Amino acid sequence: MDEEYDCIVLGTGLKECILSGMLSVSGKKVLHVDRNKYYGGESASITPLQELFQKFGVKEPDEKEHGRGRDWNVDLVPKFLMANGLLVKLLIHTGVTRYLEFKSVEGSYVYKGGKIYKVPVDQKEALSSDLMGIFEKRRFRNFLIFVQDFQENDPKTWKDVDPQRMSAYQLYTKFGLDKNTQDFTGHALALYLNDDYVNEPAANLIRRIKLYSDSLARYGKSPYLYPLYGLGELPQGFARLSAIYGGTYMLNTPVDEIVFEGSSVVGIKSGGVVAKCKQVFCDPSYIKERVKKTGQVIRCICLLNHPIPNTRDALSTQIIIPQNQVNRKSDIYVSLVSNTHQVSAQGWFIAMVSSKVETSNPELEIKPGLDLLGSIKQKFVSISDYYEPIDDGKDSKLFISKSYDATSHFETTCLDVLDIYKRATGEEFDFSKIKLESEDV
Amino acid sequence: MANRAVPQRPNGQTPGKICQFKLVLLGESSVGKSSLVLRFVKGQFHEYQESTIGAAFLTQTIHLNDVAVKFEIWDTAGQERYHSLAPMYYRGAQAAIVVYDITNQDTFERAKNWVKELQRQATPGIVIALAGNKLDLNTMRSVQTDESQTYAYENGLLFMETSAKTSANVTEIFKAIAEKLPKNETTNTAGQGRRLVESEGANKSLSSCCK
Repeated sequence: MDEEYDCIVLGTGLKECILSGMLSVSGKKVLHVDRNKYYGGESASITPLQELFQKFGVKEPDEKEHGRGRDWNVDLVPKFLMANGLLVKLLIHTGVTRYLEFKSVEGSYVYKGGKIYKVPVDQKEALSSDLMGIFEKRRFRNFLIFVQDFQENDPKTWKDVDPQRMSAYQLYTKFGLDKNTQDFTGHALALYLNDDYVNEPAANLIRRIKLYSDSLARYGKSPYLYPLYGLGELPQGFARLSAIYGGTYMLNTPVDEIVFEGSSVVGIKSGGVVAKCKQVFCDPSYIKERVKKTGQVIRCICLLNHPIPNTRDALSTQIIIPQNQVNRKSDIYVSLVSNTHQVSAQGWFIAMVSSKVETSNPELEIKPGLDLLGSIKQKFVSISDYYEPIDDGKDSKLFISKSYDATSHFETTCLDVLDIYKRATGEEFDFSKIKLESEDV
Repeated sequence: MANRAVPQRPNGQTPGKICQFKLVLLGESSVGKSSLVLRFVKGQFHEYQESTIGAAFLTQTIHLNDVAVKFEIWDTAGQERYHSLAPMYYRGAQAAIVVYDITNQDTFERAKNWVKELQRQATPGIVIALAGNKLDLNTMRSVQTDESQTYAYENGLLFMETSAKTSANVTEIFKAIAEKLPKNETTNTAGQGRRLVESEGANKSLSSCCK
């Protein structure tokens, strides 16, 4: 460890593992350290089940009731992959996908007026859905056709819409979509967490709806994917990529301090030994004095012994509760995974209800989500602070990732990673650098 | 992990049964794990093999009568050095080769720990082979064949002394594993998921490996 590295990465959360992989692939000499004895940090999947109970200070479960503890892999941060999203691109281009197996999420639902409705997967479903009235359906159909035909680099497809100058709200108005349909479109299709987007350029909204429909087109049932054995497999996969390209891994290694000389980092100190480097990458927990808290996220893990009611017994589901439906500023997300993903024992389901905290009583805020679940056998509530770095790292050579946010998928996670990579190296990540040796004889 | 669909041949000819298995390598640094794989998969040997870089996922097929046994071989990629192998590494592995260096007693003792680790972490029923590598350095031997043989017998492991350099027993140890692996589909429990691929034809459902 007392060698000199190009980069030292602290923490093996998903963001740090992707970065570590990208840096190693780019020819950097990387040391990757975690204070924990396991991979994944915040993005680990907890196993066995006993560990989860211990973590939350709850009396340990009865093996008879919950089955074998080792059959459980419980995520702390719920997210799904968009089938055509950035994380899938990263997985495929880096070859990490070969270490993982995925399943499509079966059901995608949206909450309206106290009930949940299946998110229509195509125009036909949209026309038969109870989500909107008959005239609204026609207007919505026209809107979908416009988005489908829209090509950002071909103004002929823009149909009098200037996607950069027109706002999302103006676009809705142009197609005459009512408030309900706007809510549904912005939150259940474009997956915006709040309504800040309505004043942004319409191009962003169109891009996000396209991401949804392209993702849906890939595997059919829903636009979301989930890895077998839990999200904790993702950081492990990227860590392996980094190791294959020469990255050195040390778990269970406490970090005493990040060492500075003047205003820039020169290394890290662990157990009295200094490892030198040119750059340090870490999650906010490794250097509290250089991050600022900008919010909180509430996440409630619920163990169920049944699927979520009114979801046609789906073994995996996402339900979006748009903010306006429950008088909030940000959406509530409900996700469900189960034994079919090798994350729980037979007959068990893991639901997660999460949102951005807006009041001093966050548990009450997510009640509309909890109420959809039916009877809950066990509940684990966590409220996490959301941190952002106070500087961009260009002078300090210390690049800190943001905490995992309340969004339901990995797009913002990947954007943060790609942005850090660009700030640190001065260039966009070049996927063509990866030439993994994989030979079928 | 192991149960990927094997494409049918286009001309309608029925292929023999193809079974795919995940095989992991374990053992201390520098005992020759990567060299064994390179010898087995590519027939190559490099005296100064660098620590594993870039080649930690190789496949090779062995034909046993009418069955093609395809190994998906996972190398440690150096993550064993500070005991930082991820659970993913063991996940779904149906076979393992635990390697030590016959000229280094310490690596044999460590190999025993890796066997214990496998018995703790890996799928029950995993086929484990113990490989005493660097047989070409027989004159410098410090681990006696009898000792390893007895240990392997007591723990139900396959055992061979190998040389990645001369290729002695390299194919043989993989073949012995292939013979011992169960080749009926009910024993393959991992999988049922899909792997992501780039093309439009991504929408393939995956069936069991054995047809």
